[in-house]
This record gives sequence, C-alpha cells and structure tokens, in this order.
Amino acid sequence: MAEISIVVNGSRRSLNVESDTPLLWILRDELGLTGTKYGCGVGVCGACTVLQGDTAVRSCQITAADAAGKRFTTIEGLSDDRSHPLQRAWIQEDVSQCGYCQAGMLLTTSALLKTKPNATDADIDAALDQHVCRCGTYPRIRRAIHRVVRGVP
Amino acid sequence: MTTRRDFVRYGALSGSALILGIRRDGDVVSVYKAPARFAPNAWIAIDETGRTVLAVGKQEMGQGVRTSLAMILADELDADWSAIELVQASPGPSFNRLNTGGSWSIGGSWRPLREAGAAARTMLVAAAAAKWGVEATACRSENGTVVHNASGRRLRYGELVADAARLTVPTNARTKAAAERRIVGTRRARIDAPRIVDGSAKYGIDTRIPGMLFASIARAPVPGATVAAIDSAAALRVAGVRSVQRISSGVAIVATNTWAALKGRAALNVQWNEGENRRFNSADHWKALEAALSEPGVVTRSVGAPRREAPNAKIVEARYHYPFAAHAPVEPMNCVAHVHDGRCDVWVPTQAPNSVQDDVAQLLGMQPQAVHVTPTLMGGGFGRRLDVDYAVEAAELSRAIAAPVQVLWTREDDMRHGHFQNASVHQMYGAIDRSGRPLAWRHKKVASLHNLSGPPTADDLKDPVAYFQDSMWGAYDIPYAFPAIETSYVRVDVPYRIGPWRAVYSPPSTFARECFLDELAHAAATDPLEFRLSLLRGAEETVKAGNLTIARSRLRRVLEIVRERSGWGAPLPAGRGRGVACNVYDGETHIAYVAEVSRPNQRRDGYLPFVVHRITCVVDCGVVINPLGIEQQIESGVIWALSNMKGEITFRDGRVEQSSYRDFPVVRMSEAPLIETYIVPSHGEQPFGMGEPPVPPLIPAVLNALFAATGRRICRLPVLATDLA
Repeated sequence: MAEISIVVNGSRRSLNVESDTPLLWILRDELGLTGTKYGCGVGVCGACTVLQGDTAVRSCQITAADAAGKRFTTIEGLSDDRSHPLQRAWIQEDVSQCGYCQAGMLLTTSALLKTKPNATDADIDAALDQHVCRCGTYPRIRRAIHRVVRGVP
Repeated sequence: MTTRRDFVRYGALSGSALILGIRRDGDVVSVYKAPARFAPNAWIAIDETGRTVLAVGKQEMGQGVRTSLAMILADELDADWSAIELVQASPGPSFNRLNTGGSWSIGGSWRPLREAGAAARTMLVAAAAAKWGVEATACRSENGTVVHNASGRRLRYGELVADAARLTVPTNARTKAAAERRIVGTRRARIDAPRIVDGSAKYGIDTRIPGMLFASIARAPVPGATVAAIDSAAALRVAGVRSVQRISSGVAIVATNTWAALKGRAALNVQWNEGENRRFNSADHWKALEAALSEPGVVTRSVGAPRREAPNAKIVEARYHYPFAAHAPVEPMNCVAHVHDGRCDVWVPTQAPNSVQDDVAQLLGMQPQAVHVTPTLMGGGFGRRLDVDYAVEAAELSRAIAAPVQVLWTREDDMRHGHFQNASVHQMYGAIDRSGRPLAWRHKKVASLHNLSGPPTADDLKDPVAYFQDSMWGAYDIPYAFPAIETSYVRVDVPYRIGPWRAVYSPPSTFARECFLDELAHAAATDPLEFRLSLLRGAEETVKAGNLTIARSRLRRVLEIVRERSGWGAPLPAGRGRGVACNVYDGETHIAYVAEVSRPNQRRDGYLPFVVHRITCVVDCGVVINPLGIEQQIESGVIWALSNMKGEITFRDGRVEQSSYRDFPVVRMSEAPLIETYIVPSHGEQPFGMGEPPVPPLIPAVLNALFAATGRRICRLPVLATDLA
C-alpha cells in the first residue's frame, strides 16, 4: 500500500491504495466519483478521460504512483452548475443518447478549446477520434462544439 | 430548466393524491385507482402540491424512451411538461411488461398510456366542474390546470386531486384527437440530458450499496469448457482479494475494490477441459455455411413459380457474406446483487427487468416477488441486455458469499462472452426479361438459429415455415413485386450464443437483398431508384408476407421523397457515387436512404477504406412522437451500421479473437457523415419504433454508392482496403 495525495476538483485527497491502482478506480471506488466511466481499461475508448491540469488524459492508464501530487478535474468538477459552455451546448444540441461516453467527450473537448478556442473540424477530428460512442452522437457533438466556438449562447 | 428528481419514491407525495395504475390482460387495457399511499403500482400520481410523477415502463439505453413515453402520458394528461417527474418502474403486478426490445416500446405503450392519461384528465376536469357547479363539457384542461371556458376560472391539478381521487375511474375516457395534442409531435430534449452532462446520471456500474464487494469472473475460453484445476494461491495473495469462488459461469475473484478483483483474476490460474468446441474456427465455419447452400432448406415464402426458367431470361447470381458481430456497448455488463433474509435485491442495467426477476427467482428457488429489481440507466443496450446471464451470475455469487456484490465484466469479457449477431451466407438469384422486367427472385440464407433459449422444441417445429420466418426477416418480407419469389433458410448450428442485436435478424438479409437488387437494376440497365419504384408499383398496394403486411405505397413515398431530398441524379464531384436502399422494418417503419461515397484521399489504418460524405434519410414511422428523438435514432442507426462495415468477431481454436475496440473497430468522429433526416409528417393512428429500423438499409445504400463510385461490388463484410485496391 502507498499513501498518496492528489487534488481532485480542487480538493486535496489523501489515500491509501496499491501504487499500481489506476486513477480510474481511485476516482470511482475510493472517491465515489462515478461520473468517470470504465469502458475498456486499455486506453482505446476514452470513456475514462479526465483532465490533468489542462490536459485530457486516460485515467485507466495512470497509476496511483504517477498520479501522486497532481491535480485532476473530473466531469463532476467541470462546473458547479452545468454552466460550462460545453455543458450548455451539449444540452442545447441534445447531444447525448445513452450518455455513458459523454463525460470523456466533454473533458477532451474542454482541453481542446483551452488550446484551440477556434477549433476547426480537423481539430475536432484529431481530438475526438480516440473516443468511442456506440450510440453515434458524433454529428451532434460536432455541432455542439461549433456552437461554443462561434459563441452561440 | 426544472430539476427532475430521478427514481423518486412515491412515498414522498404530500396530502391526498390521485394515483392510477394500468392493468393489461392480453389486449384489454384497464385503468384503476391504486389504493395505497405508497403506490408501487402507480403509473400516474399527482399530489396536492401538484407534483406529477409518471412511471416509465420501458428501459432507457439511449433510445430516448424515458422522454418519449413521458411525452405520450403527459400530453394526454395535459400535464405541465416542465414540472413532471419520472420514476423508473420495477417489476411488479402492474409492471409486467417492462422488457424492452424489438422497437416496440412506443408502439406497444401508445394506447395504454393514452388511456391512463385520458382517465386522469377526465377525473380532474370532472372534479373542477363539480366544484364550480358547471358541466364538464364547459371546461378544458391545459398545462396542469382545469379552465372554465366561459369565466376563465382556473384550478390547478394539485387543488383537484382530493376530489378527483373520490370519483370512479371512467372506463372509456376520450383520448385526444391528433389536433388536440400539445406535446406529442413537438421536439423535446432528452429528459436525462442535464444529469448526463454533469456526471450525476447513475448507470448500473455506478451502483454503490453498503458493504458491497467487487468481483471479476474468469470465464470458459471455449463454450462448454469445464474447470479442470484451479490454482488460486497467487490470486489470494493480491491485496484486497477476499476469496475465490466457483460459480456456474466460471471462477470468481471477490475483492474489496474493482482493481483488486481485476488483479486477482490476472493472477488466477485456471486449467480448462476445453472439449470439442476448441476445434471451431471461422475459416471452417464459412466453408460449412457455403456447403450447406446445397441443402434445400425451409421455404419461408413462395410466390408464383420461382423455379421455372423463362426462355431468354437474363439470370444474375451472387453470393453475400455477413460476419459475426458483437454489441460492444461502452458500459460493459455488470450487476449488483444482494441475497439476504429470503430475498434478493438486484440493481442492473437491463433491457429485461421482468426476465431478471423470473430467472433470479428460479435460480434462488424464491417467489418472483422476493426478487426486487431496480433497473438502472444503461450505457447502451443494442439487444445484448435482453439476455440476463450477468444478473443471474451476480445473484449466484452473492448467495455463495452471503454479501452484496458487484460483478463487472471487462471489455474482453464483453467482446468474447456475450451473444453475437449471426454470420450468414446468402445465395441470390434474379431473373429479368430482355427488356429488364423482373421475372423471378430467389434468396437462400444459411445461418445458425438464435439459441439463447435453447434449440427449437418439437412444438416449435410443428410449423417450420412460421418458426423459421423470423430468421429470414429482411428476406422473406421482400417488398418488391416479382412475379415469382422464393426465400429459403438453411440452419447450421454454432456452439456460441446467438441472439438479439440491433435490428435482430434483419441486417444480414437486408444487406444481401438491397445490394443484389442493385445488381439486378444494373443488369436491367435501369436507374436503381427507378427500378425499386417500378417494383413497388405492382397491382397490390399492400402485400402479405407471413404475418407481416407490407404497404408498398408508403415505401414508394419515402423513396420518392429521398429522390428529391438527396438530389438524386444531380451531378456529383468526380469520384463520388450515390447509392439507394430502402426497407420496411417488421412491416412497420419505412426508411429510404441515399448515400454519397468516394474513395479516401489517403488510406488510414483502422478506418473505413471509403468516405461516406452524406446520408439522406426519409422515414415514415406513422404518428410522430418526438421528431428530435427520431433524428437521433437515424443518426445512431447510420453510425451503428457503418461500424458493422468495419469490424467482425472471428474464432480461432474455439476462442473469440477480438478483445477491445482496437481489434473490433467501430466508427469514430472523423468517419461520421453528414446525416440529413426528413420525417414524413405524422399520420395514421399508430406510432412505430425507431431504435432498430435505421440499421438494416444503411449498409446496402453505402455499398451501392461505392459501386457507383468505384465499379467495385462488395459482397462481403467487413469492407477491407484490399476490396477497393
């Protein structure tokens, strides 16, 4: 067991976990932050994406040892009240179907727009092509991102 | 937007309340007053504060059913849409039809929900009229209130429930005419959207109950394999692992958290007696399917004299291959079960809560009512969650360890151990005369049966035509007016589980039928869209196939509209082609697609070897409930079907070879085409489903476009880069 400390959604959390425990399971099982989803465990679906600082990362690929001392944002911390422009746009465009993959989509997109506030379709493809949605919400995700890029309320 | 509490408890209703249930006995629907304050059988509950709680009796997996069913009920009730709350029904006497599949949620709920809503509305109006001393006909209901037309006086539903609850439930309350509907037919955003975007939506995998343990199961690598030996020493040394348990589906590692369970399973060493099925290989299976083409099979539909060769007929023959496919919903199978004190509590993302209750009760030797099932949101379903194997094994494990436990399937488990869409071979034969007029059509399909409930019984086989027709969905119900038609089915069994998958039996057959029809159109030197229209202008406007009725006029209309909307025939950029396909799903929803496709500028590994630029869809699903939901289901079905052109499940040494989205690739963002949907305006008396119907005709539209663009006729899925090289 290792004692680690991480900052999640602005709060410092100290934990006793096996040092190889993926951040995904720390968030879900230890911290009760179940908005971060398990989809594949091998980094190919993107459902477990969280922000490390301003960068989108796969929480299933980050061990407790790697996570120690770092700051993370999960879907629960994207805003306090669904007021993030992407959350609003997602509702406006009625993006979600089953919704299971959307936390990962939202967090990757929020990281994209931090570095590229005028993201093009090619930027969107590059950022989101490593995310799986089996319901096929891609066209609406694209529209929701366009909405934010264009500043449509 | 009003916050709607999820899974509210009816016990929280304040003061008096009007509480109605729906009873269904065969086709007879009756609405009744649910007696108790705590009303687990209630479909509608309105309390004195005006809180309006509506039960949802179908399962949400992304198809929008929580929104669309609530729309039907709220509209008929004239409830305030912004204030309604939903409760997800659990199996019980009034909730015995919760299973969700076959695109029948809307169709099957349409009448009972409206009758219940109409009964409640009629009682509320009667209560208001009595209070005012006026005729009920002098009043109207709107937006959660009753209004006296002449005076404009208003009473809110909450102010009327005490009186309304004392009235007799009307047996034949008048349901609204189409023109009176205020919610049905309007675009309504998904009710669950807010809690999806903030991460608070709870799926099955998110269930947490006190004292819960976590489990992962090592499963037989080959179907039918049995455990020869278990070495659990290393697994038990993993921190957090509590025990190793033998259960019916394999060897379970029980731990205090998910990661410990997964590590324990990796450390577990199980020797299996693999048995005969270890010899099963995909290459051999394709040969077996091809060989079975020589068998006569069961003729599932016969029209005219399809085996008489006309002199001078032009004959076209082709063979189509469709692979095994997994569902691969992003949320893997999981279930929390707690067997205790003579009961079992189950939290499960399932399409089939009633089956969970029945099958868990049978396993545990309990009465069904001792099994308390809480259906959760699902991270995709697609037919996989009609099978309740993962719920039954969780109950078995909970009983074994006398503790609540969550069984989680890994992605590998999901790819390898679920049931599959069937592989099939289709032998097609078409005859046209020298002027291109159709003479005969034959379609023979070789595939295994759906086998989740075992092989067919002697009873099933008493009427083999009726029994095997299901397997020929998409083939025997060919809508086109050929003078002679024969469709036949040859059964080749496989040791794997074969069962429901989005659009069930239809995608393989519709793929072969609509692609081959294109081949015939080209052989007849006729435009493929015009060829279809000409085959739907037969003498009969409707045609019976088995117990399905095909309305050719409706299919013709969607084709005519898609011709216009897609710009069919207009010039395209060089290298781009258009293709068309259409289908009547299960005799109900009519869809026509036009696809625009080209070769990619550069080849990208892991991506489709062609580019789909644009899909134009025209759909006729009868009464339109939620146009927004229909558009979403079209988009969903298009992308689902495109994924079906990328990946397949294959077997080697009895094992599934795929393990994740890496080797079972699905469509990604950059591959999603522009999708335009046109909905034929609401008409008729009956709405039809939209979850499955968009899937079957999409692949043939794309492949027909690919032929137009490249001259290559693709007859085998998935499509490989080498097919187009």
